[in-house]
Amino acid sequence: MLRVHRLLKRYGDRFALNGLSFDVQGGEVYGLLGPNGAGKTTAINIICNLLEPDEGLVEIGGVLRTDHTKTLIGVSPQENLLYRGLTCAENLHFFARLYGLKQSDRIEQVYECLETVHLLDRANDLVENLSGGMQRRLSIAVAMVHQPKLIILDEPTTGLDIEARYEIWALIRRLQSQGITILLTTHLLEEAERLCQRIGIIKAGKLLAEGTLEDLRQYVAAHTIALVSTSQEDMAIARGERLGFVHRRYGGDLAFWLPHAVELQTVLDYFQGIALHSVALQPIRLEHIYLEITHLGSSPTVTS
Amino acid sequence: MTLLFRVNQSRDVKTSDLKSPVAFHAVQCLRETIAVAQRILLELFRRRRSLIFWVIFPVTVLIINGLIFSERTDLTQAEAFAQAVSPSLVGAALFFSCLGGSVSTVVAEREQQTLKRLFLSPLKGLSYFLGILLTHTVIGLGQTLLVVTIALFAGATFSGSLFLAGSIVFLSIVTYVGIGFILGGQFARRTEDVNALVAAFGVPFLLLGGAFLPTSLFPDSLLRLAKYNPVYHMTEALTAVTTQGEGLGEIRNHFLFLLAFSVVVLFGGWSVYNRMIQSERRF
Repeated sequence: MLRVHRLLKRYGDRFALNGLSFDVQGGEVYGLLGPNGAGKTTAINIICNLLEPDEGLVEIGGVLRTDHTKTLIGVSPQENLLYRGLTCAENLHFFARLYGLKQSDRIEQVYECLETVHLLDRANDLVENLSGGMQRRLSIAVAMVHQPKLIILDEPTTGLDIEARYEIWALIRRLQSQGITILLTTHLLEEAERLCQRIGIIKAGKLLAEGTLEDLRQYVAAHTIALVSTSQEDMAIARGERLGFVHRRYGGDLAFWLPHAVELQTVLDYFQGIALHSVALQPIRLEHIYLEITHLGSSPTVTS
Repeated sequence: MTLLFRVNQSRDVKTSDLKSPVAFHAVQCLRETIAVAQRILLELFRRRRSLIFWVIFPVTVLIINGLIFSERTDLTQAEAFAQAVSPSLVGAALFFSCLGGSVSTVVAEREQQTLKRLFLSPLKGLSYFLGILLTHTVIGLGQTLLVVTIALFAGATFSGSLFLAGSIVFLSIVTYVGIGFILGGQFARRTEDVNALVAAFGVPFLLLGGAFLPTSLFPDSLLRLAKYNPVYHMTEALTAVTTQGEGLGEIRNHFLFLLAFSVVVLFGGWSVYNRMIQSERRF
C-alpha cells in the first residue's frame, strides 16, 4: 500500500532522512516510532507531498507520489486543525467538497464517518463546543471522509485523557476491521504495542529495526525484567554480572534482564546479602526494546 | 486520450466527460473556490456580531459624510448624500471589510493552523485565493447595496454607467484583497497584529484618499502625494461616474491607475501567499 524507498532529505549539513525505507502492507496498522527529531514528521510531509525529498521515492497504492495521490491519503495531524466556528457535519462537508465528492455521495459519506467515530448525535454541534477527545475523533473523520486507501495518524492520542485515548484506540481497531491501512506515529509505546501489527523504529533519519513485536523481541535477549531498588547498587550490579545478567537503567530504576521465567523468591535468592528495598518482575515491553534499539544501535543484544 | 484524474470510484472524473483538461481544472477550481467562499461566509454569518459591525460602519460613515457635505457646502441633502457615497463606500467600508477582512482570514487560518489541513487536501492555492476574493466581493456588494439604498432614501440620485461604477467597485475590492494578502502574509502572524497593522497602513491611506475629508480641501503638496494613493483614484473615479455621469474617457487616468495597481498588488499578494505556503505547510 505504501512504499517508502531510500528517502534522503538534507537541511544544510544535517540529514533529516538518511536513506529511510519501509513498506506498509494493505490493511495493517504500521507504527512508526522514534525519538523527537528522528525524521518521522519529515517522512510524513514527504509522503503527503508537502515536501520534496532530495533522493528516494514514495509509492502509494502502486502510484508514484504526486499531487494526485493526495486523494489516496487521509491525514489526522497532531493538532486537530478543524474550523471551530463550523459544526461537525459542516467541517466534513467542506473537506469532502475539496476532495471532489459528489453531493449525493457526500451526504452519505459525511454521516457514515460521523457514525464510525461515534459523533452522529453531535453532527450539528459547533466544533468549539466539543471535548478534546471528540475533536480528535472528528479530525480522524475528516481524514477518512474521502475514503482514502491510507490514513496517517500523527500522534492521535497525544494530550488526551485515558478515556478519550481508549475511544481513539477502539476507533483505530474499527477502521482496521474495515480494511483501512493505517500509518501511526506515536510516542506512547503502549499504544503501538496494542494497535500495530508491525512497527518500524527510526532514529537520525534511518530505519533501525522493523517487524512484529515478536520480531523485535530479539533486540532484548531476556524473558523477564527484574526492577531492583537498593541502596547498594554497585553490589547488586556486580552480583548481576556474576550471574550473567545484563543490567540497564530505565528512568532511574536499576533493571536486570533475566533469561528465563523465574519466581520472585528466586530473584531474592540471587541478591541475597544485599539490602533490597523492593523487587518487581515485569515482562519485556516495547519500551525496553525501543530503548535498546534507539540508545544502543541496530544490532540485537547478545546475552553474556 | 482519456486521463483518469481521481482514483476513488465515487469521484472518478474523466477528462473525456469534459471538453478538455483545461475545462476539467477550471470546473475543479470553480468548485473549490465556491467551497472556500461558502465556508468563510458561513462562519461569518454565524458570528453575527462582526456582520452587524460591518453594516453599522458604512452606514455611520455615509450619514456623517453626508451631513458634513450638506453643512459645509452649498449642496442639498440629496446631492450631499450622492457625493458622500463614494468616499464612504470605497474609501471606508470596502477598505475595512475587504482589506481588514482578508488579513483577518489569512491570519486566523495561520493561527488556527487550518491552512495546513488545506495543504493536505488537493485544494489549489489559486482556488483558495479566489475563494477569499469571492467572499469579500459578496461582502463588498452587500455593503454597496446598503450604502446606495440609504443614499437613495436620503434623496440621492445617481447617473453614469452602472457597469463602469461596478467595475470600479470590483477593482477596489481586488486591490484591497491583494493588499490584505501582502500584509497578512508578510507582517501579521497573530490576530493581535491585525488591528495595529490595519491602523498603521490604513488610516494614512484613507485620510490621503479623501475618505474622511474631501480632497478638494487638500493643499497642493498633499494632493500630489494623494495621486499615488489608490484610495484617491477609487474615490475620484466613482464620484465622477455616479454624480457627474462621466464615462471611461473622462476617468481614464483614475481607472488605469486603479487597474494597474490592482494587477500589481494581486501579483504581490500572490507571491507573498506562495512564500507563506512554503513556510506554513509543513506540520
